[in-house]
Amino acid sequence: MAIYVPNTKQQQQAMLDEINKTFDDLIAPIPKNVRLDRDLNLPEGMSEFEALRIMKGYAEQNTVYKTILRGAGAYVHYIPSVVKHLSAREEFVTAYTPYQSELSQGILQSIFEYQTIMADLTGMDASNASVYDGATAVAEAINMCIEKKQKKVLVAETVHPETLETVLTYNQFLDHDITIVPSKDGRVDLDALRDMLDDETACFVYQHPNYFGILEDATSIGQIVSQSKAKLIASVNPISLALLKNPRENHVDIAVGEAQPFGLAIAFGGPYLGFMATTEKMVRRIPGRIVGQTVDIEGNRAFTLTLQAREQHIRREKALSSICSNQAHCALVAAMYANAMGPQGLKEVATSCYNKAHYFQEKLQEIGYTLTHAQPFFHEFLTDTPISTDKIERHLSASNILSGYPIDDHRMLWCVTEVTSKEQLDGIITLLKEVSS
Amino acid sequence: MSQLIFELSRDGRRCVHLPKEDIPSYSLDEAFKKTDPIPLAEVAEIDLVRHYIALSKKAHGVDSGFYPLGSCTMKYNPRINEEAAALPGFALLHPYQPLETVKGALVAMDHLQQALCEVCGMDGFSLQPAAGAHGEFAGMLLIRAYHQANNDHKRTKVIVPDAAHGTNPASASMAGYDVITLPSNDKGGVDMDALKSMVDDTVAALMLTNPNTLGLFDPNIKEIADLVHEHGGLLYYDGANLNAIMGLSRPGDMGFDVVHLNLHKTFSTPHGAGGPGSGPVGVKKHLIKFLPNGTVIRENGTLTIKKGDAQTIGRMRSFYGNFLVNIKALTYILILGKEGCKETSLNAVLNANYMMEKLSDLYTVAYPQTCMHEFVLSLEHEKNTHGITAKDISKALLDFNIHPPTMYFPQIVHEALMVEPNETESKETLDRAISVFRHLYSLIEADPDLLRNAPTSTPVRRVDDVTAARSPILKYIKPE
Amino acid sequence: MNVKEDVLYLPSHEWVKIEDDTAWIGISDYAQHALGDIVYVSLPDVDDQVDKGKSFCDIESVKAVSDVYSPVSGVIVAVNQELEDTPEKLNEDPYATWIVKVKGTFDTSDLLDAQAYQELLKQEG
Repeated sequence: MAIYVPNTKQQQQAMLDEINKTFDDLIAPIPKNVRLDRDLNLPEGMSEFEALRIMKGYAEQNTVYKTILRGAGAYVHYIPSVVKHLSAREEFVTAYTPYQSELSQGILQSIFEYQTIMADLTGMDASNASVYDGATAVAEAINMCIEKKQKKVLVAETVHPETLETVLTYNQFLDHDITIVPSKDGRVDLDALRDMLDDETACFVYQHPNYFGILEDATSIGQIVSQSKAKLIASVNPISLALLKNPRENHVDIAVGEAQPFGLAIAFGGPYLGFMATTEKMVRRIPGRIVGQTVDIEGNRAFTLTLQAREQHIRREKALSSICSNQAHCALVAAMYANAMGPQGLKEVATSCYNKAHYFQEKLQEIGYTLTHAQPFFHEFLTDTPISTDKIERHLSASNILSGYPIDDHRMLWCVTEVTSKEQLDGIITLLKEVSS
Repeated sequence: MSQLIFELSRDGRRCVHLPKEDIPSYSLDEAFKKTDPIPLAEVAEIDLVRHYIALSKKAHGVDSGFYPLGSCTMKYNPRINEEAAALPGFALLHPYQPLETVKGALVAMDHLQQALCEVCGMDGFSLQPAAGAHGEFAGMLLIRAYHQANNDHKRTKVIVPDAAHGTNPASASMAGYDVITLPSNDKGGVDMDALKSMVDDTVAALMLTNPNTLGLFDPNIKEIADLVHEHGGLLYYDGANLNAIMGLSRPGDMGFDVVHLNLHKTFSTPHGAGGPGSGPVGVKKHLIKFLPNGTVIRENGTLTIKKGDAQTIGRMRSFYGNFLVNIKALTYILILGKEGCKETSLNAVLNANYMMEKLSDLYTVAYPQTCMHEFVLSLEHEKNTHGITAKDISKALLDFNIHPPTMYFPQIVHEALMVEPNETESKETLDRAISVFRHLYSLIEADPDLLRNAPTSTPVRRVDDVTAARSPILKYIKPE
Repeated sequence: MNVKEDVLYLPSHEWVKIEDDTAWIGISDYAQHALGDIVYVSLPDVDDQVDKGKSFCDIESVKAVSDVYSPVSGVIVAVNQELEDTPEKLNEDPYATWIVKVKGTFDTSDLLDAQAYQELLKQEG
């Protein structure tokens, strides 16, 4: 049913009469040889009541876990009520890209604030207004580093496998040489990295904390790469930035990452939020939209989309990226989240994640789940399992708990965030004891 | 003027509090530890609320007023879509849950893929791409993978019309193709002679928007498709303008091999001030095997998620696409149904033609003929005679709470205004907009300065874009 | 539109001033006018090779980007660093504002002199 068409049949007819046309006239430009001469093979339209019933039916076939100990790129955090309410304001939801600055100051200012938050948290000079997700942010960052004589890209083996896959997809038909830097005991093998860097290396990409939750030796990586011509790209978890040295301190040129932990639901993988921040020197290479501060003709502070000549709508085939629509509303949510948490709140979230993950790891260790790599970690860690991961997953699932992520049959990647209480963690240990014995 | 959130910050103020920690503290090695303060604003909840409410009041959405922004399909975004996407059974799913615990999600994605196949006349869809340009890029990779699989390595070029969206050439280029530009003919369609002279066995594909960015349906579409196919190339459909033809004509039947859609346009998911969108890519049979990993597929009758297939182009991003956006689009399609799709497009076309007719005695229509869902005006004459530009008219519309049409696009029309009214606007809204457009036109003679000085009622006056680009200030710097 | 007398032009609106083995390259008054307010010049590096008829840098205005083609072949020996902070100099005084200085042996046979360039501008309307 075309229930969203406000014009009545009479009005439609009146309009047709006024322009002296029929509906047949209006579709006359579509040549007969490509007209659809039948109805679409879709069901009849329905009321929203019926549609919602179908959608609820689909939703109810899915398991919503009460406790989630799985991260691997999607993290459950508490989302403050105020963030949910404010971000649902219709002006934010139903606006287009703020190309008309005078009518879009609210949107533009919110993006400017988002850029400030991401740039400051990463210690960088500037951030863009967002890209699709953390994986594409890495792929886009690599593109920023390619030079005529530097087309070799080094990627740490310890990045998220889907990030690596995305990077390979983006570059498969380009003359960029993507090489994996091996890991040693769960972290980047620094000797290998040193050996692999040469004058043709465009950049090195690592993730910190890495895919296994392990803290990389970011200081050494920074020192090694900054002694070469290569640029350094770090993919970071924004929550961890409340506790860890920022990427700038670690000599990073482009800080990117997945900002889903900043107030976005895990939502079966999307929409999420890719962020990118960089140095002043490289800002004209950053893809996507950027908001800048300026003045109006009366000298009042105003905001506008700027540096647009980088973008596809102007540079066309010469643009470094084709991105147009981004994840603007997710960026708004992320900024609201950061503002709602504030420095103290964000620190408490990060600290709570850190402490709970370490507490849980300790308890797991006691019942035979040993750390696969004895390395420092943030809120995620890999353990060997005394029984098959499949058995663990099924057993916890029966109690409405989503276990850690089975990397294979005998290793599991666990994640604990602030939303899981000590009591719950202790309960899970009890459950695991049952199944292990 | 609103203060920045950072200017509202007061030391020690807080909004969200966390539960008291019931776990011992674990130490973090100094080598990793942050030593400087966390650079965030400190505000109370009331500060936060008033701040964002103030910002929301300085924004214009479809819900605020008429939004005839050409090529962007700013149709009404039904509330029910949001309710469906917020269901815990969708919003609270972890992307790596065991597949047997997300059966409903897979069914919903498959349902949407099937519906999009039917609307577009394609054989397979992937919901992985996050936005239109991302879908285009995926489409270009699919085309390249197809030619490679056929050991056809000499195809290095992609033909893109001069009126195409900038994302087209940019996406082709990201896939490593050389872009060649196809001129439009004097009727705004594809110049057949030019196309004939370009197509050969080095051309991988032709990218086309149909109806095109002038809002015109190409009368030679079948011939164009045949010509490209005869030379072994593929046809790529930019689905930005699908809202004109649902239930009337299908890209697949026109001969297109690959399409992308913008669910945030035709399928009513909100634009969110620039995103998230969703840019599914659809293909004919011969390309299905190349679809990205992370696509819902049927294997031996069971729904599953594609991974690690030898012939796939790979993965466009993490996980399975902008899932919640796709849920919204599915809700919309369910409500529209077969007749709703067609009526939607017919009314989009009616509204555009109605508005064009009612303005064409004053404004110059760039390519005067029956249009589809949008049309393009040119202020070139007025610029030459009175110095009034498309920008002046646009800025003046702001004072009437009408979002301006797309300005200066397509680039082949000078001083272009691209108007897309959408089917969700009533005759009353259109009539008011028509009278505003006409009033503004009369000011070109009567009071051109009023146009040049517009807007005057917006939160700021005309913004200095030049200074913004020359000396970029891209983040707030706290005064010393 | 101002056309300077003692320089040579490309039809794509670049000028070159040649003294022996040294050439200074810039854009014409027509070019700066067509671009509008110039906001950024992506300058090449010293020691880069420039090739006649090939683009060696691009110039951005708010809503456009334009390649700058070299009227001669040679090696860049200097770039006008002033343009990094004040690209508007190309708007204000296009003939006094060179972009790069090039050394080489130059073939000027097919470049336009001021009169021919003026003719071209007339034809382009």
